Amino acid sequence: MKEMKPSRHLVGIVIGLAVFFGLEHETGNAKTVKDTKSLCLECHSKIAELTNRVTVHRPVRDGQCTVCHNPHASKRASLLADDDSNLCYNCHDRGGKGFTGTVVHKPVGEGKCLSCHDAHSSDRKGLLKKAEGDGCFSCHPKEGIIAKKNIHPEVKKGRCTVCHNPHSSDLNGLLIKDKKSLCAGCHPGAGEIFTKAHLGYKVSGTDCFGCHSPHSSDRKGLLKTTLHKPFGENQCTSCHSAGSTAVVKSGISLCTECHQTSLAGFNKINSHLIVGSNDNLCITCHNPHASDEKHLFKDKEDRVCYGCHSDTKEYTAGSNHKHSKLGICSGCHTAHGSNSQFFLTKGTDTCAMENCHSTQGKFTHPIGEKIIDPRSKMPMNCSTCHNPMGSPEDALLRFEKDTELCIQCHQI
Amino acid sequence: MSSDIESGDRMMRNKMEARGKRAIAKIFFYCLLSVTCLLLFFAVVSFAEGKIGVKTVAIITGDEIMGRFNQPSGLFFDEVKKRLYVADSGNGRLVSFDSEFKYLAELTDEGMKLPTTLVRNKEGQFFILDSGKAEVIFIDLEKKIVKSFPLTGVPSGKEQFIPGRIAIDKGNRLYMIDKLNRRIIVVEPTGEFVREISVKEKDFFGFTDVKVDESGNVYAMDAIAGSVYIFDDKGVIVSRFGKRENRKYALRFPTSLAVDKNGLIYITDQHAGRILVFDKKGVFQYAISKPGAKEGELSSPSYIFIDNERRIYVIDGNRIQIFQEEKEGNG
Repeated sequence: MKEMKPSRHLVGIVIGLAVFFGLEHETGNAKTVKDTKSLCLECHSKIAELTNRVTVHRPVRDGQCTVCHNPHASKRASLLADDDSNLCYNCHDRGGKGFTGTVVHKPVGEGKCLSCHDAHSSDRKGLLKKAEGDGCFSCHPKEGIIAKKNIHPEVKKGRCTVCHNPHSSDLNGLLIKDKKSLCAGCHPGAGEIFTKAHLGYKVSGTDCFGCHSPHSSDRKGLLKTTLHKPFGENQCTSCHSAGSTAVVKSGISLCTECHQTSLAGFNKINSHLIVGSNDNLCITCHNPHASDEKHLFKDKEDRVCYGCHSDTKEYTAGSNHKHSKLGICSGCHTAHGSNSQFFLTKGTDTCAMENCHSTQGKFTHPIGEKIIDPRSKMPMNCSTCHNPMGSPEDALLRFEKDTELCIQCHQI
Repeated sequence: MSSDIESGDRMMRNKMEARGKRAIAKIFFYCLLSVTCLLLFFAVVSFAEGKIGVKTVAIITGDEIMGRFNQPSGLFFDEVKKRLYVADSGNGRLVSFDSEFKYLAELTDEGMKLPTTLVRNKEGQFFILDSGKAEVIFIDLEKKIVKSFPLTGVPSGKEQFIPGRIAIDKGNRLYMIDKLNRRIIVVEPTGEFVREISVKEKDFFGFTDVKVDESGNVYAMDAIAGSVYIFDDKGVIVSRFGKRENRKYALRFPTSLAVDKNGLIYITDQHAGRILVFDKKGVFQYAISKPGAKEGELSSPSYIFIDNERRIYVIDGNRIQIFQEEKEGNG
């Protein structure tokens, strides 16, 4: 009896697999009685009308319905051949131009291309479902963008893509250029009116967003809502040398000369007195001129905090369950300094502040100084069981509530 | 003829049997090899996970006599007196423990508001960072002196001097973080200026912790950048490693650092709930502990200190955990 060498087995297996997949492939391309275009349109006659629009998706135009749809069966709606998040990217390169930025438009990241685009045809360029502005405003409500008296003309026209990339960007806010050069494309910063408006200060090349709202404002010249007092009173020389953007004092003393009590707020057990990348640590978080945010924050509150707490941003973004006030960091944390762990405004009572969770501990699991966690031998508080920064579990629990949570302490 | 056939069959049978035995031996060998590899793999993983090699020596949470800690922020083990001192910041006191970590006494003083970091020199004098007053306090218990620690000859920076964490070397020199001027000031025990240590790198945000080893090398942390800087005893930068990254065994939210006798650098990571150990080149060695509330687990480690016996002291919320490594050949 002749023994077969293992290599021969291998060859046999390879041939077998090749034959199997070859046949499979062949059956997958079983000849249809008609070409797919006419075959599908026999029943789906309305689709034929869609091909008369200005822009038609190429597979629709070419009658390649099976590029996206399975003609027999699918577990997905509309007999789609793949999940929403993958379907478009089977043809359109995820790594293609405009898609490689670090900041990704949410629907793009989730593969929800059909939020903005029509899969078959459209009367608009780029297969857009709605006119550019209307499409954007359907998710980004007008109230937050153009509700104010004076509206940036391009915003009014709904031409959002003049400044924003709808897919991705390396810049916050999906901007197409950095803030210092974005506005200069239309507002070159030369001329008498421009210079006069800025009281003779050479502001070209600076960040216009520091003082101006790019969308709308109740103030003339689209100035932001809250103005730093000397700025609002044209007292520029309080901080700047006359006619120059150079500041009269370096570092934090520029601010503490007026805001004398602010520095004392940092003299706590936990202090945010960390200089950061700016010479003046105050402008790490605050805008010295104008802001649409409270406390003259230089950006939306969560963006300011996440600027340094990038890992928290990533953690919360990846959590299935998020605290409802997650973006309002100052709702629970003190920004300058705190004698409580995690800079909490009221220590372990923070959760019960302002009637947020005032009933906790009264009729639920007891908490407080006398209730000791047997694992840590420390008093229990809300964060013993909940992680307010986000969790994969319901109610921001640290463990799965039916099988893991209680047995952490209550042994069966 | 038939005997030839029989002997041929026998030979064939013998051959087959031999092959069968060899095959079984091979299977057995590969099984053994796989199991060994698997065991080795789990041993490495367990070690990296901190499951072996470290025992919890003590956990201090307080008792009826001393009360509970309230935001302890810094601690120091006095090798001369063999005592542990803790800056119990929220209670505005220093608490001392004996070499077996039994409570001894507490020290409070009107001149001390929020003690957050402390060191003690060989003469038994304390230098305490008081964050409430934004100054360093000098305490001599024998002479009953509590006063601000005066500095002389320190070159003025662009900003006012607001001290951060402090460290001490074997020559009793003090290393104080100058928070706003982004430097470390080295002074004699008298307060006389020796040198300043700073870096000019673009992505440097400022020092948040500092420790000194037996040779006078200085280890400093920039928590925002997630970087560790190592300087020699002259204050010249020797190396820098680390950046904040959201992956296992990378620095996510480093809070404090310590160095052992072998030059290994231990870093507490508050968001990872672990201690990560690196060599001087920044190569990750292993992790100690894991996130959690149980004994030996860490929920939010904020400060670390290592004594000469390589006991690792970690402030974890309102408790202090003391670990001892049990690894061979590393001590």
